Amino acid sequence: MDWECCWSKEEIVPEACPYIGEGEEDLYTSHRRRVVEKCAECPRFKNDLARMKGMDNPLAEVVPYILTEFQEQKSQMGVMLSFLNSRTREIKFLREVGLVLQTSMDIDEVLSVAMTAITAGKGFGMNRAFLLMTDKERRYIRGYLGVGPRDYEEAWRTWDDIGRSNFTLKELAKNFQKTKLSSEKVKFHDILNQLTVPLSDQGHIFNRALRTKKPILVENALNNPDLDRGLARILGVDCFLVMPLISRNRRIGIIIADNCITHKPITLQDMQSLETFAFPVAFALERASLYERLQEEVEKQKGANLKLREQQELIVKMEKMALVGKITSSIAHSIRNPLMVIGGFARTLLKGSPEDDKRRGYLESIVRETRQLEDVLSEVLDYSESLFPVMDLWDLNELVMTNLDDVAPSLEQVGIRARTLLAPDIPRVRIDYKQISYCVRTIIGTAMVAMEKGGDLTVETALEGDDVLVRISDSGAPLTESAQEALTAPFFVTQEMGTGVGLSLCKTILERHGSSFSITNPPGGGNVYAIRLSTKGEYLHGEAACS
Amino acid sequence: MAKLLVVDDESNIRLLYAQELSDEGYEVVTAASAVDAVEKLQAETFDLAVLDIKLKNESGIDLLQKIVKERHSLPVILCTAFSCYKDDFSAWLADGYVVKSSDMQELKDEIKRVLTKKQKAVG
Repeated sequence: MDWECCWSKEEIVPEACPYIGEGEEDLYTSHRRRVVEKCAECPRFKNDLARMKGMDNPLAEVVPYILTEFQEQKSQMGVMLSFLNSRTREIKFLREVGLVLQTSMDIDEVLSVAMTAITAGKGFGMNRAFLLMTDKERRYIRGYLGVGPRDYEEAWRTWDDIGRSNFTLKELAKNFQKTKLSSEKVKFHDILNQLTVPLSDQGHIFNRALRTKKPILVENALNNPDLDRGLARILGVDCFLVMPLISRNRRIGIIIADNCITHKPITLQDMQSLETFAFPVAFALERASLYERLQEEVEKQKGANLKLREQQELIVKMEKMALVGKITSSIAHSIRNPLMVIGGFARTLLKGSPEDDKRRGYLESIVRETRQLEDVLSEVLDYSESLFPVMDLWDLNELVMTNLDDVAPSLEQVGIRARTLLAPDIPRVRIDYKQISYCVRTIIGTAMVAMEKGGDLTVETALEGDDVLVRISDSGAPLTESAQEALTAPFFVTQEMGTGVGLSLCKTILERHGSSFSITNPPGGGNVYAIRLSTKGEYLHGEAACS
Repeated sequence: MAKLLVVDDESNIRLLYAQELSDEGYEVVTAASAVDAVEKLQAETFDLAVLDIKLKNESGIDLLQKIVKERHSLPVILCTAFSCYKDDFSAWLADGYVVKSSDMQELKDEIKRVLTKKQKAVG
């Protein structure tokens, strides 16, 4: 029988079958494979089957069933193969990404890998992705990073570049971190800023995804009554995927992915693949941010240790200096007194001896040598005193608070309510801490006397030009002008304050600091004591103390 | 003739003060301790007191405060082995401050200055 199709021939010549193409030449000699791969679908074979049917061949009825079944099976096999290939690619990709995510402690590296994996063609192939993270206080979820093109031109350029390169995903991520991470953070700044959502807003799609721990695929967002249209407008797309990032029940953040350029539909399979990927990303992000926080704490700890060591060294130094001070003080007393006696009596003897007395020379030697020893002693003592500078830069707010804390129990006892109005960030002033503390304490003491039956005491600090002002106000009986004068007159001793000289000594102390001191009576009653210390003032050191 | 009270716990120094200041024409009474000084201040009238700061188990500064409180018309000069008290405001109550030296000229000058100042104030 001469059939139209070549199915009955063991071997054929090339012209016998027009369906065998280039690279399939082996089918000319392989009968079985030719029948399965070509003849089963060949229109000529169908014609031969029709002829067989006309000839009442019983096989002609059955063979089409077998052929249909065969083709269905073959098509299913093709689908399965494609699915298998895609899964194999995915596993390979996840393994590659997983390796980086499992080992990285660098939050930027984790972000680069995650965002590249979502947007690269070799990864999930989404056009664009946004990462939102919960803040440290766990009050808001905030836009952190956006990755992807902003328009068609940029998309075309980027994809063309990537298409021509032969980078692996890891290399792409590394390249992204190195060259694009900072600029991408800025690029989507406007969108990211609008994506901040309070974690307490339970109805928001982000919080719904976090609460249910499931991704949400949003389609037709602009016409979806369950969804805030604002979000779709911000993103500029009506189809996007919201993927929660959860690690050990902790809400790490959200990934929003979309195809803003190609508008390719997001499939269920895309969503499932991304869901598998979200877990290691969330875990890696949590670990990296914990590591970052740990590093911050370690740095803080290091700083504190350094400060502590410095303080310890300072204490040791001060202890040594205190020892030096004690020794020199002891030397001063033990040596200066005998020197004074030796030299002093030598001078007395010299005064009374006749000019021609041979012993005058001896006495003059004693006087001279004693004078020399006294000079050396003065030098040594002056040096040791210079190790303890009296004047230093101090924070007046701190001084005021320390002194107020010290007198707080006494104030409370007499029913005086104290309050402070301290100006923040006032510059430090060069003062003798002990002396200015004495002034503050004395003024508070004076105010206490004026408020024997209780009242209000206000201590304020303020910066006025180059001066720092300490103002202490009481609600006691106003002091008359003559009382004010008497209080600040030298050695006025009506009040039993401290050394017993009260405000007069304060006035002297402040004058020597180049500062002013005033007492005024405001119209509302009470007294206001004001100390004005210049931030540029010089202490009048070395003036005769007692003249 | 001005009458001075000199307070120092070292007997040799008291002797030196007495000798040198008598030569200058002052009547000098010495005291070896703060207690001794207070007794003498109660019993006699002085024109000026010279105090040491470090007395045995006592402080010349405390004695100074006592004098300022009870007899604030009596001028006081601190004469001490320590120069550091010059910047201590507790010593500012004194009318003069001199560091001990074998050359007592500075002390003598200071006594003269303070007494002149006192006379001017009174008269």
